[in-house]
Amino acid sequence: MSSKINSNNNNNHRINGQISLQPCTHLADFRSRHRSNPFRALQDCLRIKPPGGRAAIRRDPSEVPLCGVCGDSGGGRTRLYACVSCAAVHCHAPPGGGPSHAAAHAESARGGHEIAVDVDRAELFCCACRDQVYDRDFDSAVVLAQTAASTLHAPPHSVTTPTTIRLPQPENLRKRRRIDYRPWTPDPRERSLMGSSSSPLNGTVSDSDSNSDSRSNDLLPWGLRGLNNLGNTCFMNSVLQALLHTPPLRNYFLSDRHNRFYCQKKSNCNGNGNGDGIVNRRNASNNERNNNSRMCLACDMDAMFSAVFSRDRKPYSPAKFLYSWWQHAANLASYEQQDAHEFFISMLDGIHEKVEKERRKPHSQGNGDCCIAHRVFSGILRSDVMCMTCGFTSTTYDPCVDISLDLEPNQGGSAKMASTKSNHASNGEVDCLNSSQNSGISTLMGCLDRFTRPERLGTDQKFFCQQCQVRQESLKQMSIRKLPLVSCFHIKRFEHSSTRKMSRKVDRYLQFPFSLDMAPYLSSSILRRRFGNRIFPFDGDEPEASNELSSEFELFAVVTHTGKLDAGHYVTYLRLSNQWYKCDDAWITQVNENIVRAAQGYMMFYVQKMLYYKASEKQVAA
Amino acid sequence: MRPSVNRPPTPDVQENQEKEPTLQETINIKLIESGEKERLMELLRERLVECGWKDEMKAICRAFIKKKGRNNVTVDDLVHVITPKGRASVPDSIKAELLQRIRKFLVSAAL
Ligand SMILES: [Zn+2]
Ligand SMILES: [Zn+2]
Ligand SMILES: [Zn+2]
Ligand SMILES: [Zn+2]
Ligand SMILES: [Zn+2]
Ligand SMILES: [Zn+2]
Repeated sequence: MSSKINSNNNNNHRINGQISLQPCTHLADFRSRHRSNPFRALQDCLRIKPPGGRAAIRRDPSEVPLCGVCGDSGGGRTRLYACVSCAAVHCHAPPGGGPSHAAAHAESARGGHEIAVDVDRAELFCCACRDQVYDRDFDSAVVLAQTAASTLHAPPHSVTTPTTIRLPQPENLRKRRRIDYRPWTPDPRERSLMGSSSSPLNGTVSDSDSNSDSRSNDLLPWGLRGLNNLGNTCFMNSVLQALLHTPPLRNYFLSDRHNRFYCQKKSNCNGNGNGDGIVNRRNASNNERNNNSRMCLACDMDAMFSAVFSRDRKPYSPAKFLYSWWQHAANLASYEQQDAHEFFISMLDGIHEKVEKERRKPHSQGNGDCCIAHRVFSGILRSDVMCMTCGFTSTTYDPCVDISLDLEPNQGGSAKMASTKSNHASNGEVDCLNSSQNSGISTLMGCLDRFTRPERLGTDQKFFCQQCQVRQESLKQMSIRKLPLVSCFHIKRFEHSSTRKMSRKVDRYLQFPFSLDMAPYLSSSILRRRFGNRIFPFDGDEPEASNELSSEFELFAVVTHTGKLDAGHYVTYLRLSNQWYKCDDAWITQVNENIVRAAQGYMMFYVQKMLYYKASEKQVAA
Repeated sequence: MRPSVNRPPTPDVQENQEKEPTLQETINIKLIESGEKERLMELLRERLVECGWKDEMKAICRAFIKKKGRNNVTVDDLVHVITPKGRASVPDSIKAELLQRIRKFLVSAAL
């Protein structure tokens, strides 16, 4: 469930995740001399400058600040500071880098002129301590100004289309997704277990077979097996292929963590209530309710993993799984379309539900353990909603098993492209990225930029501001608080009309990278890039992105959709040992990576890089 | 007595700058006035992140803070420590790209 944190009365000042030091004596003095709003004059000088929307200090927008003593314009070895007491601008260089006219100004004024503001960063500096200082009031004024400015520059569609962040979903699906579950991070022992248990997966199983059929099969990685179409079930097959080759999921089932024989036996005990552990056939078969309680999607997954990773290479029919899933999905009254993404969501739900039902004792709070579906796929989204009037921000955290992304609206405006550019810095494939931006091709990174961009909520979506005590216009920004082991991105290619019927499919091409760095979209990066080094007027306690290697992901499966809305076909491309395979129901073929790059991606599955490499290392075909 | 906060821009700069500004100063001011400097800075930031320069500087800062203890380091100390390394390790390709941009700007500004 989402936890709401309103940190206005929070006494622990935090700067980008670190508890701040006390203000220096100079800043404390300054504050005590100016009780009410000491930075009022500065507020009028705050300018938010595109590109990037950085805050700067200028008395009028066209001012070119220069050092009052030497005329230096800053930027070289020096920075320019404006004294917050008298507004005089001076240069400053660290010891050894040249003179500091700002420090000289502070000294000659004999007290009261130590605190200055960096004119190009709008960050406070104490010229006596020669160090950055932080002030909550000042920082919230800057954050509010940046917030207001970012909405002025927003392209018109984001004003008129209220929150387009998530696809509106059928009510009960949405509710189910908000079930109280804890994310799980593997501890070092579990990580090494995952890593080590994936190495036996090489293709040497059928060494003893000598017929030509199995010899050609040996060239395929282990576990690559077609799935028979059971009547328009490509929506299911496509997702199952991705799940069967999701490294942490595969390792879980192949290491017998959910044993179907044990699970069914246990369920029957519970169902009969006699506790003797003997399967009672009569009871099991004529009691529908009992039958439902025995239905376990994880057991069916277990059976499927066993079958697919056996020696048998003939296409497999996931009939049992389809039946179980159908029973589960039938309870979801609004399940209408056979959509691969909805199937994915509902089957993760199904696995979760069963496991939760089985639990006798409430699971321990701290270690964040849940069903295998959520251990692998669940991350946490952070959403900051800021009141446009007073700057009060309400932060919520929501678990998610995937991220649904809007395709960018048809390109054309070059202003928009510039605004999405800054995030790409740390992602590879820079050349192709830049060229794609010039040619206006949508990219996955572009979608993620849009997803994490501040967005003004429409007037029909005013939120209740706890500080103003009325409904106010607001600004919403999404970011990723915690990355899952496997990130699934769902591209909203199906546009639903208000009557919740599919109305249209968007066929536009979307470029996606084989390696993806998620660091730019983490909460810590988003907040820092937007606002600089500040005390946030809201919860800024975020783990440092660059400390975690886990932000690097590798693509391992792409579910594609071709054709029309109702007469379409799903196909999955799998990347095993850095070789791509096309899984088209029963048919598996090896394909060139360019075919994958050109495909119309509907769902993209990325796994944390360290798990991907561990999983593929020893699988290279002879 | 504290001077007024709302004092107009200090006039002494213009007085001190009676002498002809150097070409470098003129270019610098043109860059600032046109907003090109801001765009160049943004480009430079982006490039320095891409090539790993920023991570490298971050690592040096972290190591320095670790050595000195986190309460005994000022921003000035950090700038002082990384400036020589930072200047030396900017890739030539980035310098060339920026120089190219500045040249283009000068032509278009017809200085
Ligand atoms: Zn002063
Ligand atoms: Zn100076
Ligand atoms: Zn101080
Ligand atoms: Zn089971
Ligand atoms: Zn769960
Ligand atoms: Zn408010």
